[in-house]
Amino acid sequence: MSNLIKKKLILSILLSFAVIVVGCAPKATTKGEEFPFMYEETPLTILILPPMNESTAADAKQYYATTVQEVLSYWGYYVFPYEVTSDILKMEGIYDAELIRNVPLAKFREYFGADAVLFTTIKKWDLSYMVLASNLTVSIDEELKSTKTDQTLWSYNGTVVVDLSGGNTGGGLGGLIAKAIIAAASSAMVDYVPYARQANYRALSSFPFGKYHPNFMTDQSMQFIDQTPEKENN
Amino acid sequence: MKSNLIKIIVSLVAVLFCFGCSAKNQMYYWGDYSDSLYHAKKNPCVESLAEHKEVLENIVEESKNRNQRIPPGVCAELGYLYAANNNTKKALELFQMEKQAYPESTILIDRLIMQTEKRASDDESSSETSVEKSIRQEKSIGEGTNE
Repeated sequence: MSNLIKKKLILSILLSFAVIVVGCAPKATTKGEEFPFMYEETPLTILILPPMNESTAADAKQYYATTVQEVLSYWGYYVFPYEVTSDILKMEGIYDAELIRNVPLAKFREYFGADAVLFTTIKKWDLSYMVLASNLTVSIDEELKSTKTDQTLWSYNGTVVVDLSGGNTGGGLGGLIAKAIIAAASSAMVDYVPYARQANYRALSSFPFGKYHPNFMTDQSMQFIDQTPEKENN
Repeated sequence: MKSNLIKIIVSLVAVLFCFGCSAKNQMYYWGDYSDSLYHAKKNPCVESLAEHKEVLENIVEESKNRNQRIPPGVCAELGYLYAANNNTKKALELFQMEKQAYPESTILIDRLIMQTEKRASDDESSSETSVEKSIRQEKSIGEGTNE
């Protein structure tokens, strides 16, 4: 009897915990609900376009561009070799991200065979050093557009915070001090490639899987947290 | 009772943590691709480019060893580097590999093949007319005077 009460109590605590979490977190949604065109068109080839950098970090573009191809390939698409395609675009005289925005999307299909193109704007790329941890905060807008229909297949507007102090926290005061030392050391090393990669992973978490992924066309019901800020009504 | 609750919370946190870090899967072998590319872009020099090329070679090799598909774009990028170094044969070989593994890359690859072949034939005729020809002429003049 008392066991049952215990269980009920635990359950209710858990439930209220869940309600609190749901209450204050942005709404959860599914890939299928949010990006239906992605499942209609099922693009196979994706062209990553040079990102637009609006952040104050000059390095941000390079960090983003050198890590995105690898990360996106794990989602099961044919991702064009960024180094090659950005070079070709440069030779064609369209290396500027602003100029690229003016190219009709069908051109990318004709020239490269791209089913879809990925536009990226880096809004923020900030490193913050604190006493016990340091973070990389990345805000990006990403949009995957169809070269067939010009419609937006997938988009992401959000902020990713990557902990630079490493996962191993240990215990007690000793652990905290160790963590602070690691944080200081890693910010001094100035090698953020792994963190840029992580930021890319997080940003793509709602990206539907492609043909080369085992979960192709079976991930419509997969949930994710919609980070897109609610549109303000002015 | 209290310890039970702690256990549940701890396990919940653990589960969430696992979700957070399990995004990576082993579909492809990318080696040190991003690192070497970043360094080659940051400090473009003969060494850093050679290092990145080596990483690309290693990805091709290791993917074969693991019986995995070579990641998309790797053969094309490596072929592009060979083409830039005027190793046309190796470049064309790699372009064909990319096309075979990923037929959807055909439009881009055919463009690269065309570019590479054109450059190779241009180089051949231009180098024959300028450097090689002048060397040959010099040689024959020298031989002539010796005789």
